Amino acid sequence: MLAQLISSAADGVVVAAILAVAAMGFTLQFSLTNVLNLSFGAVMTIGGFTAYLANLAGLNAWLGLVLGAVAGAVATVLLGRGVLRLYARRHTQLFEMMMVTLGMSLVIDYGIQAISQNAIYGYTVLQAAPIRLGPIDVTPIQVAIIGMAVVLLVAVEAGLHLTKLGKALRATAVEPSLARSCGIQTGRVVLITWVVSGALCGLAGVVYIISTQSVDYTTGELFLPLVIAAAILGGVGSLRGAVAASLVMGLVTEIVAGFGGAAYSTVAGFAILVVVLLLRPGAVFGGAEDRQLVL
Amino acid sequence: MGAWAFYITTLLVYFAVDVLSAFSLNLQFGYAGVVNFGFIVFQAAGAYAAAVVVLGPSGGVASFQQYVFGARLPFPLDLLVAAAAGALLSFVVGLFALRRMRRDYQAAVLLIVSLIALQVVSADVPLFNGSNGLTGVTWPFGEFFGATATGQPWLYLIYSLVICAVVCGGVWWLSRSPWGRSLRAMRDHEDAASAMGLNITSLRLQVFVLGGAVAGLSGGLLVEYIGAWSPGAWGYAETFVIFTAIFVGGVGNYRGVMIGTLLVPIIFLEIPRFLPAIGYPGLTDSLEWVVVGLAWMLCLLFRPRGILPERRLRAPRAEGVALDPAPAEGGA
Repeated sequence: MLAQLISSAADGVVVAAILAVAAMGFTLQFSLTNVLNLSFGAVMTIGGFTAYLANLAGLNAWLGLVLGAVAGAVATVLLGRGVLRLYARRHTQLFEMMMVTLGMSLVIDYGIQAISQNAIYGYTVLQAAPIRLGPIDVTPIQVAIIGMAVVLLVAVEAGLHLTKLGKALRATAVEPSLARSCGIQTGRVVLITWVVSGALCGLAGVVYIISTQSVDYTTGELFLPLVIAAAILGGVGSLRGAVAASLVMGLVTEIVAGFGGAAYSTVAGFAILVVVLLLRPGAVFGGAEDRQLVL
Repeated sequence: MGAWAFYITTLLVYFAVDVLSAFSLNLQFGYAGVVNFGFIVFQAAGAYAAAVVVLGPSGGVASFQQYVFGARLPFPLDLLVAAAAGALLSFVVGLFALRRMRRDYQAAVLLIVSLIALQVVSADVPLFNGSNGLTGVTWPFGEFFGATATGQPWLYLIYSLVICAVVCGGVWWLSRSPWGRSLRAMRDHEDAASAMGLNITSLRLQVFVLGGAVAGLSGGLLVEYIGAWSPGAWGYAETFVIFTAIFVGGVGNYRGVMIGTLLVPIIFLEIPRFLPAIGYPGLTDSLEWVVVGLAWMLCLLFRPRGILPERRLRAPRAEGVALDPAPAEGGA
């Protein structure tokens, strides 16, 4: 019982690490642009398939990780600059923007389904024998994933708080017009945000398929609910909040799955968001009514 | 009955089901402004409910599939159960999803409900036979007209058209009633509507549950015709076919919605059947969805209010009181 709990909790930390990478990317771009980007899951799938193709071409798995991140960044920039800007020029409102990202998600998901012939592809790289630590089985790769999530959190936080660019980004997120009149090139800030968040998204896609050992066109879409829930639960724009919420989500989903409720593990994660929503709606959704689009 | 007649009849049955769905979604989205991105879940709930109440007790003849409950209810109880299932699920989801929050959050929460419900039903086999789904669903007139609805498609067509006409007429009438006007008031200016004494939370839940009931009914009607229902039939993308139909036709305009339903789920999605097959089997299906996504994005870009936009509601002019001429349509 206790051993099962500890073992599930360890799995939960691994899931949390993957989730945290994605949720950081999501919360970063959401806090700046205010677009609830529902194509985030589709971009994760793009990252995953890129790594799969890189592996097929005989490239090193770690290189696949990098390529997945690059693919995520490129896709996000193309969507943000190419598509969303087009709508912004026609004065599409925030809400309609979210519907546009949903259309993008449909196009990408089913485009990938068409190209991938609707098949599930195995992705068994970087597998290694698990190390036994008491009740916990953990592979070196899982440790590496957790380490990577921590490093990314520190790196992005440092980038946000210690560099001039990070300052510009935070300023733009709070008050874009004031930032612009202070001489901040908000267009450039947005571009860099697309790149960073896209890279995190693509990376999360690769890490996720390393952990599930397969990729298909629904990969990112099935992970998206947890990402959005973690980003919202953590408080939009807060990286540390997103990581903490990811930890909660990861632990809850894996513990529920460990005790026989595998079908309901995602529901359990989502239930936390619902409970918070019911008990303290203000804590999650407060004061975000009059946000404006920043592209 | 020839293959063509059967095909056309089947399409018309689908049309009846899609019109029901589109009316329900238009009531929620076009009139009340509730963005139900999980619409298909409520249709699926109705379909599953109708299936288990006509399949008979679980574990009997149909023991190759497992499901909860299981009964054999006569007409019209099966459709009532389907509607009740849609309404009940809507009520439960509505309790948390309709709380006062940003509209895009609300839509995202409903989309998440749709994605998660699909995962749960696929993974939890004892519930509704998992990803294989339920088959062998019969229709309620088996003892009079033969075992399955596809054996008597004309009869089922008349049956579904009558139900569709009655329910859609009801929805249309409700939309024009004072209740419908308060929905529009809520959609256009929530704070003002609230200040006029409308209970926004309750009103939104009412329209959500009512729409859910119609969605469940449409699911029941569909499953009794095609005889099977599985997670493959209600992916999150299905919701957006109906949304696209509404956008193409005209948000908040029922005539437009009917045109949109004819154009998108019926004509557009059936055209590929008559084109020469390309690539591997299933490629055209995937490409269809890509085109639905593109159509959805193009609608938002060029005609966000649809072909036939919502008509302005004009109050009858009172004697001797000069009202300002109505400003031009459009805007928000």
